Amino acid sequence: MKVVIDPVTRIEGHLRVTMELESVSTKTGNWFVVGKAYSSGMMFRGFEIFLKGKDPRDAFFFTQRICGVCPAAHAEASNQALDIAFDAVPVPPAATLIRNIIQCAYYIYDHMIHTYLLVGPELGILCKYPPMIPPVLGKEGIAKMGLGSSYAKCIEMQRKANEIVAIWGGKFPHHACGYPGGVTVKPTSERISQTVARAVELWEFVAKTMIRDIQAIIQANETVGEKVSEILGLNIRGLEDIGVGTGNFLSYGMLPDPENYEDWLKVAYGEKGRRKSAVFHAGAWDGSFKDFDLKKIQEFVKYAWYSDEYSGKRPDEEETVVELNKPGAYSWIKAPRYDGKVYEVGPLARMVNTFGLSWRIPRVHPITGEDLGDFVYKVRNPKGSVLDRVVARVANALICANKLIEFAKMLMEFKDSSICKYKDVPETGEGFGLYEAPRGALLHYLKIKNKVIERYQCVVPSTWNQSPRDDMGQPGVMEQSLQCGTTWLPTMDVPTVCSAIWGEDYGNLLRKALAPLGLAELNMEPVNGQKFNTTLALLIIRSFDPCIACAVHVISK
Amino acid sequence: MRLSRRNFLKLVAAMGATAFLSTYKAEVVEALNEVKDYWHICWLNGGACTGCTISFAQATDPDILEIFTSITVGNSRLPIALPDYMETIEPASGWLAEHLKERWKKGTKGRRILIIEGAIQKKGYCVIRGKDFSEHVLDVIDYADHIIAFGACACFGGIPSSHPNPSGAKGLQEFLREEGRDDLASKVINVPCCPGHPDHLVITLTAVMLGMKLELDQHNRPKLFFGRNMHMELCPYRPYYDMGIFETKPGEEGCRYKFGCKGPDVYTDCALRKWNNHVSYCVQVGAPCIGCAEPGFPDRFIPFYEPITNRRPFFNIDPNYVWVGGAVLAGTALMKKKRGEEE
Repeated sequence: MKVVIDPVTRIEGHLRVTMELESVSTKTGNWFVVGKAYSSGMMFRGFEIFLKGKDPRDAFFFTQRICGVCPAAHAEASNQALDIAFDAVPVPPAATLIRNIIQCAYYIYDHMIHTYLLVGPELGILCKYPPMIPPVLGKEGIAKMGLGSSYAKCIEMQRKANEIVAIWGGKFPHHACGYPGGVTVKPTSERISQTVARAVELWEFVAKTMIRDIQAIIQANETVGEKVSEILGLNIRGLEDIGVGTGNFLSYGMLPDPENYEDWLKVAYGEKGRRKSAVFHAGAWDGSFKDFDLKKIQEFVKYAWYSDEYSGKRPDEEETVVELNKPGAYSWIKAPRYDGKVYEVGPLARMVNTFGLSWRIPRVHPITGEDLGDFVYKVRNPKGSVLDRVVARVANALICANKLIEFAKMLMEFKDSSICKYKDVPETGEGFGLYEAPRGALLHYLKIKNKVIERYQCVVPSTWNQSPRDDMGQPGVMEQSLQCGTTWLPTMDVPTVCSAIWGEDYGNLLRKALAPLGLAELNMEPVNGQKFNTTLALLIIRSFDPCIACAVHVISK
Repeated sequence: MRLSRRNFLKLVAAMGATAFLSTYKAEVVEALNEVKDYWHICWLNGGACTGCTISFAQATDPDILEIFTSITVGNSRLPIALPDYMETIEPASGWLAEHLKERWKKGTKGRRILIIEGAIQKKGYCVIRGKDFSEHVLDVIDYADHIIAFGACACFGGIPSSHPNPSGAKGLQEFLREEGRDDLASKVINVPCCPGHPDHLVITLTAVMLGMKLELDQHNRPKLFFGRNMHMELCPYRPYYDMGIFETKPGEEGCRYKFGCKGPDVYTDCALRKWNNHVSYCVQVGAPCIGCAEPGFPDRFIPFYEPITNRRPFFNIDPNYVWVGGAVLAGTALMKKKRGEEE
């Protein structure tokens, strides 16, 4: 029996997930779990083909439009590839600081909307945590029941975060201030003070509200685990045993040290390394810290709608040709692999490659100096899980909130210095931009010939996580997480499952709230006259924060 | 003050979209509360980057939450304009998400709004629940009482339509004309820019709900936002141009014309309204205007960093002449003459 979720909503883009069901017998009965899972990216635009022949500087604008949820990350990766191709490195410290400020603010926005607007509703409902349940009753519900208080606050705060991007970049999405070798925007006192004012508000929301919320979820998760284990007759700790991944984590590093940009550059020139001078390090964790090596990346296309001729090539040598009706293929997404193996990318990968499995992040108020106590977390499942991914995203946001204010203060010292190492468009050149998008490791590769783009390739985070099977038959990370054995698809609806975990009152409340909105059958997928509750599967899918417009961007001929 | 059909558009025109919204937020909410019926919104997302949805989430006065949940119909507690379908934020997914589109179709006649984000592509390049996006559009479009194309892609094809347009991306109007639906094509309100501006959409929606007719230009863009030339009428850096002071490299101060600014060819109110709660806009951070409000974006304006006069013929089309028409022709000719005198 197959359950298909199409469209998967509350993600970016068009994703279809197909799950073959397996029946599991335990002492409490027979249960359906996901046996095999298939992830299909369903939209294709062809960025790399229309970039050919264009002025290289235009790549900064074009590639942002790969994705309107994470445009700033594409801007940065593209800009770094351009810096190198134009031989305009190292970029001046003021430019690095301005780019870092944009990235920090934009990361906070991105992790925030994912935590509350995209994955949050399922977490809030499953963990019976009102601040994260969408404010279906509007302002009155927020005031009387706290229903959706954090969700609503998040809408206000993400806007403030993006105002910081706009102060430096002109607007968000799709900012405008990048230029090979630096930026076009000047660091004025006005811009810096406008930034700091907003950054303090953001810090308070992240360090207080987000951390409080995630701690509440971690705690409630134990009850969810106990009850679900009772029902299923299995031993599941909670969401740390749901959506279990591969345990291999890849990161390219982010937020370079403005005064040690040489160290940041080495990896992009092909040296092995970990970019330890940056806030987040590069690395290829497989149980312990490993150097990252650019040469180990290959992309496979056996199960994607592209010609097999170039399968297994490296990003700087691949050429991709669309084959719309290829037998066996089921996605527009290619299958990138590192050292031939399946690696997970994203906030969890960044945290693990930088700090290992045990994290401690300070929470000292940037203005008053008040210490709220460190945020401490030990990875619950070293292979990766729904809970660990969600917590890692909040931890990332906290680090960015801390750093945002540091970078802004630091920029005061560089107010009158150069913002761009200006170079004319070169006859020839090439370069890799290796950065971290919120969803994980992002690679841009650019080759210039006769002053125009000869080749452009991107290998993006959602290609890693949402990839289909590769030529060796290994399923992608999300596919493996769905088929790890604990993805329970109950035949009970959402309120009934919630009743079983939290009691009848809560289930009835949910039922009353959902019905008038037409959502009585929320997350229920019909198959052969039966209906399956896909809440856990959706949680797993969304825990990766999929971005399908990003994942599908390649060349057609 | 009460907002009426008579003073609403006048005020927006006089104050600019953003200033209007921040001053009259309460009145907008009140006026919408008085519209005593549930409005149904269906927001379809095709060949898109979802930037327009994210941009809409940056709306400030009223913000997206107020629009979707707080402005309720009478005492029904039902929000006035909860989207029945909006992939990026809606609670439902899979079967139920598609099913709720049926609820939209059954909405009160006259009160069903369809918003399209993203380009419409050749068959097979964007498939949702086994059905091509173009078919999804045709499936709902006859039920739409009001059609808004939001963002450059939905209006005119946008970035994915750049040469050689591998997925055959085009704007909604062009698609409808090809399908022989000129009747519907003429109904489309185009709200371009890349991404679309939240204030433009909020005001367009408000005007639609209050039953006011927005005056449109020859590209079906509301004249309210797209009626004035950036360079001639709105640019704060215009004095630099008149004095012959130009930015040619990052960090220099001056008019951005020689740094590639396409302002003289572009009709939009960015300089006035700005972005993200009125914080800034492209030209203000030393970057050129790339012309995202205009048909023909991006190919008509690339290379973005080359001045208008240096644009290479692209795909055998000289971008300097093909798109120049009507009022633009007069303005450009005038400026060319002026430039000739100065340079």
